[in-house]
Amino acid sequence: MSVDRRHLGRRYGPYRFEAGRESILDFAAATGGRVPGRVFQNAPPAASPPPHLAGGDGAGPLLAPPSYAAVFAIQPFATACADPEIGLNVLRLVHGEQAFEFHEPVRAGDTLVTTGTITRAQERGNLDFLEVTTETVNQHGRLVVRGVWTAIVRN
Amino acid sequence: MTRRVVVPACTAAAPRVKASAREREPMRRFTVGDTFEWVREVDPYRPVYYAGASGDYNPIHIDQVVGRAAGYDGVILQGMCTFSWLTDACVSYLGDPTSLKRLRARFTKPVQVGDVIRFQGRCVAVDGPRIRLEIEATNQAGEEVLKGAVADAVAAEARS
Repeated sequence: MSVDRRHLGRRYGPYRFEAGRESILDFAAATGGRVPGRVFQNAPPAASPPPHLAGGDGAGPLLAPPSYAAVFAIQPFATACADPEIGLNVLRLVHGEQAFEFHEPVRAGDTLVTTGTITRAQERGNLDFLEVTTETVNQHGRLVVRGVWTAIVRN
Repeated sequence: MTRRVVVPACTAAAPRVKASAREREPMRRFTVGDTFEWVREVDPYRPVYYAGASGDYNPIHIDQVVGRAAGYDGVILQGMCTFSWLTDACVSYLGDPTSLKRLRARFTKPVQVGDVIRFQGRCVAVDGPRIRLEIEATNQAGEEVLKGAVADAVAAEARS
């Protein structure tokens, strides 16, 4: 089944996400070659902060790495990929492309609200492309990140 | 200049992370032709750790049976974990994580357990505070796992 253009403009969210300090540290550990969590790790996260978390500013709540957007902004894309109305074959689906535009940084304690819109639904050859554009704003109403998430399904 | 940060995969002992001196430099200079390198190994637990930390528990990332049914040798790593490594590679060069403004890439080959992914970046343009980086990401066989990876940054000291 090919993706239908009538789904263009379909919206997902808003999804609310509280950026917790432990969540940010776990993400930094998982992507930093270390062990997340507070049980089977060899050193408390504070003992070896990843260089990109230090960020050169010692003040204020923990600064999340830009890559943390993969956690709080993914939900509209994930929901669209599994949306029965769209009917993509998730077993043949791969994450094909990704783009982020970073605006306001994220700190522990932030409340992030993400909405998404289908901005491309296209069949090309035997491939289906589904693109979801997301926007995340923080508790101050400031844009945090804009994401463009593209799934490719081989038919 | 070339800077290398190699972080071995590790489940039993915390690997040493070679923090760059650049993070502590008050002023940073970016020059066209600068290169940087970032290496990550996919140890067997990495997809599970990433699943826990990100919330992406798609069975294709945590269950070998599902991974094989989908045509892979076992589980595959979450694409966004690879993308996060790409982000970190850029930040390792830039120093200030908030200077990264845009990043994009296409995923061209699945990353599997046992792979060693090498990110090789190059500063291709500097225009005042604006910096453009291009990054290649290859596995141990030299195959590109990402294509078209481009980052745009604005150097911190030039921002208001």
